[in-house]
This record gives sequence, C-alpha cells and structure tokens, in this order.
Amino acid sequence: MTSSARDAMPAPRHNRPKLRAAVILFLLVAVFVADTVTKFEIAIAVFYILIILLAIGYMSTRGVILLAGLCVGLTGLSLLLSRHGSFEAGLMNCGISIAAIATTTYLVLKTVAAQASAFEAQAQMVRVARLTSLGALTASIAHEVNQPLAAIATSGGACRRWLDRDPPNIDKARQAVDRIVHDANRAGDVITRVRSLAKSEPLHREALNLNDTIGEAIAIAQNETERNNIILHLSLAEDLPQVLVDRVQILQVVGNLLLNAIEAMHVMPTFKRELEITTFQEDRDRIAFTVTDSGVGIKPAALDHLFEAFWTTKEGGMGIGLSISRSFVEAHGGQIAVTSTPRMGATFRVSLPVAERNLA
Amino acid sequence: MRVPPPSGETTKPIVYVIDDDESVRNALEDLLASVDLNVISFGSTQAFLDNGLADAPACLVLDIRMPGQSGLDFQREMTRLGIRLPIIFITGHGDIEMSVRAMKDGAIEFLTKPFRDQDLLDAIHQGIRNDTLRRAEDHVTAELRDRWLDLTAGEQDVMRLVVRGLLNKQIAGSLGVSEITVKVRRGQVMRKMQARTLADLIRISDRLTE
Repeated sequence: MTSSARDAMPAPRHNRPKLRAAVILFLLVAVFVADTVTKFEIAIAVFYILIILLAIGYMSTRGVILLAGLCVGLTGLSLLLSRHGSFEAGLMNCGISIAAIATTTYLVLKTVAAQASAFEAQAQMVRVARLTSLGALTASIAHEVNQPLAAIATSGGACRRWLDRDPPNIDKARQAVDRIVHDANRAGDVITRVRSLAKSEPLHREALNLNDTIGEAIAIAQNETERNNIILHLSLAEDLPQVLVDRVQILQVVGNLLLNAIEAMHVMPTFKRELEITTFQEDRDRIAFTVTDSGVGIKPAALDHLFEAFWTTKEGGMGIGLSISRSFVEAHGGQIAVTSTPRMGATFRVSLPVAERNLA
Repeated sequence: MRVPPPSGETTKPIVYVIDDDESVRNALEDLLASVDLNVISFGSTQAFLDNGLADAPACLVLDIRMPGQSGLDFQREMTRLGIRLPIIFITGHGDIEMSVRAMKDGAIEFLTKPFRDQDLLDAIHQGIRNDTLRRAEDHVTAELRDRWLDLTAGEQDVMRLVVRGLLNKQIAGSLGVSEITVKVRRGQVMRKMQARTLADLIRISDRLTE
C-alpha cells in the first residue's frame, strides 16, 4: 500500500508526506484491529472514512480509489474474523460502513475535481482580463489613428475627383490637399503621443472637461457593458473646472478602469452587475472621478500589488492596464487609489489637478 | 407619414452624415460634393434628429463609435421611430460581432476606416436607389389607401368579399342586400380602385393589407 501511495504522490515534498503516510498506515491498522476485536454491534469500520479524508490531496484519484477498495476489503475481513456478538448486526454494520466509505470517496473525489475546474476557470479569466486590457489599449490607439487616416483617404478621393472634372476645380482640389496635410499631421501627433508613453516625453496637454472624456470612454465601452447586461449609474458634477491633460491618456485610464470593472462582474449574477461612475470636485485645486463595480472585490493581499505590471506579479486578475494607468495618472500630477471590500466590489478613485487658469 | 411627391422623384437625393470627428465630416462633405451629391452632416445623432428629414430620397452614413449614443444603438432607435433610411456604417475599429449586428438590422454596408472612397460612393448610390424605390412603393401604397378611403362603407364590404373569391350571389346573401346592389357596388369598386380585372383588384388588396 505504502509503495503505491508513494508512486502516486504528485511531487516529493519534504518530510510531511512521509508523516501522513505513516498516520494513514497506523489508522488503517488501528481501525482494522479495533473492528476485529470488538463485537459485531460496534461499527468501528466507519472510521475508515478518516483515512480517505487524509488521503485526499496526498494521493492521486486512482490511489484514493485503491485505498477505498482496501478499506472495504478490510471491513469484510474484520467481519469474518470477529468472534463476539450477533453476526446479523455485524453484517448490517459492515454494509453501512462500506456504504459510508464508498460515499465519502465519491464525494471527496467530486469536490476535488470541481475545485480543479474552478481553478482552471479562474486562470482562464485572468488571461482574458490581460488580453482585454491590451485589446482596449490597441483598439483605442487604432481608433485615434484611423480617424485622421479615414479623413486623409476620403480627402484624397475628393481631390482626385475635383481634378478629374472637366474643367478641373483647382481651388477645391487645393483645399482637399490642405486638409490632407492637416490630418496627416494629426495622425503623426497620435503616433508621437503613443511613442512618448514609452519614452515619458512631455505630455500633449489640452484643457478638457472631465465629464466629456468620461462620456467618450463610456461610448467606447458601450459594447462591453451591453453584452454583459451591466446597469450604469452616472453621477457627474456640473460646473467642474477644466483639467489640463493628455486626452488620449486619460481616455485610456478611464476605459481601462471600465473594462476592469466589467471583468470583475463576470462571475456575478446578471441582476447584480452595477457600475457607478462619479465625478466631483475634491478640493479647490483637484477634481476626481470614481469607478465602482459590484463585483467580487479584491483580496487585501492583492491590493498592494494591484498596480504592479502583470509580468512581475502572479496574483490577481488585473493585467498590464492598471500599471499603465497609474503611470499616466502620475505623469499628470494626479493620484490613483483603490478601495475594496471583498464580495462587495471595488472603487477606483482618480484625482487630477485642475487647469491653472481655473485657479486664477 | 409624410406625403411623397407625385410619381417620379423630382427632388435631389440627400446624403446624411453623422460622425463626431470634424475632419472626417469635412472630408466626407467634400468627397460627396465632388460627385455632385447633396450632403448634410451632423456631429451627433441628436443633432440629426433635431434637424428632421427633408422630403427626398436619402441615405445615412453613420459612424459607430461616438460619445453619447453609438451608431448601432441609433440604428435600432431609428427603427423604433419609424425612420427608414438605408444606413452605411463607418467605423474606426470594427469587429465581426458589430458588423453582423449592423447587417442583421438591415444596414447596407459596413466600412472600416480608412475605406476606399469608391466603396463608400457605391454603397451610397445603392442606398439612394433603395430609398427611391421604397419611396415610390410607399407613394403607390398611399395612393391606393386614398382610393380605398374613397369607397363607401358598403363598397368596402363588397370589395372585401370579392377578393376572398365569393360570387355575387354569395356576397348578396352574406351582406343581406340584393344581387343587383352587389353588381352596382362592384362596378363602383372597380372604377374607384382603378382596377381593370379581378386579378388587379386582388393585387391592390394584398398591397393594402401588407
């Protein structure tokens, strides 16, 4: 028995597995002896289930089944060897014990299998979360670049058609070319800004209304919120002072927080998926927004690592998005923080300094 | 319901453009002007709705990703509002799911930015053709409805039973009038509905009950 148990051991670990094997062997012998020497009426054999419970997580599924078979065999052997009491009662107790051993084995093996698949599903979710953040980032960049490209291609078409006319409309063609140059520069700016993210070059700041930028991010995430049946609550403060920010970066921060929140609510029943977004004036020179989900929340242990890039930390379902978000926000002189009550969702709060001229 | 102009379209077609990006709007306006198409553009779906529709064959070039309402949602809202413009979607980042949804809901084209200008123009011409046909059909149906409303209640009863294939005698029995009366009313129905044969009348009736 012991040798088969060793063979089935998943990986050799220090001394404790040996200890557990010893305990199992000891119990096996003890239960067998006790069952044999006591009267038929005393159902010692049900204690074999302790052995099964001990073997779980220590042996492979096959090992546990073999062990359960051994216990059943020993129970029968005890019945034959017992000397005292009523044999009929003994037979009944033997049946009950065998049923208990079989049921326990079946249930624990099922539980282990369910745990394994739950773990697999969780790992899958983490991978999806990472892909989603990256996907959102690329989609956002693609959108920013494709807008001017569409304008360029269309203006180009218009220009050619003005020139193909008889007589050609030179004025109109020139206007189209001017527009092409303008939009080509715009596309170039987007690329420059994307590259500056990596190089931490100065930001392309413009005075914006935070509510508008959040509205834009919501439009981008709309597909996701709909597909996941998420109820959106907006509470946007009016008359917020403008912020001096890089629109693309802030858009990505908001978008990423939205997608993370949606991801966090995947496991919740549909009627519990609520997303709340607020904006407000934090104090005289800062405004802030929060994104609150009704998801599973974040474990206290994970909170500390949440903003680390995903390739340096293994825990948590958050991907690369949050570490990028933090660097964006901090580059603006802002702060990003998270609070979470496990099972009650999480709140991300981003505060940004207001534009100088609003303070004057 | 708007009353369409008399047979044949005399008004110039209109292309409506809704895109939140000003550069894209300007470029589209210019491209369409270069092929002599009338264009009216808007920065949001709300601005488009506030403006109202002109009485002319038209089609709509609609951006998907916009702040506020997305183009795909607006497509559904249009159905709810009874606006039956052919829609050509343009988007900066489309996926299969989006395009399937758009096409299922009746869009005639789904173009990813940047697109070839000829593809857009082809789609627009197709859209305007569809809308012209639709308007002509609507026009005919509206006229038939006018003719139907011109019938007296008795004549309408007779027409309903005639197109169900009943004989004059059966109609008379069913309505409790004389066969002569049925004959007279039947003649009136054919004249007022401008139907030459029974087959004509049945076609007209089908159209009215569509």
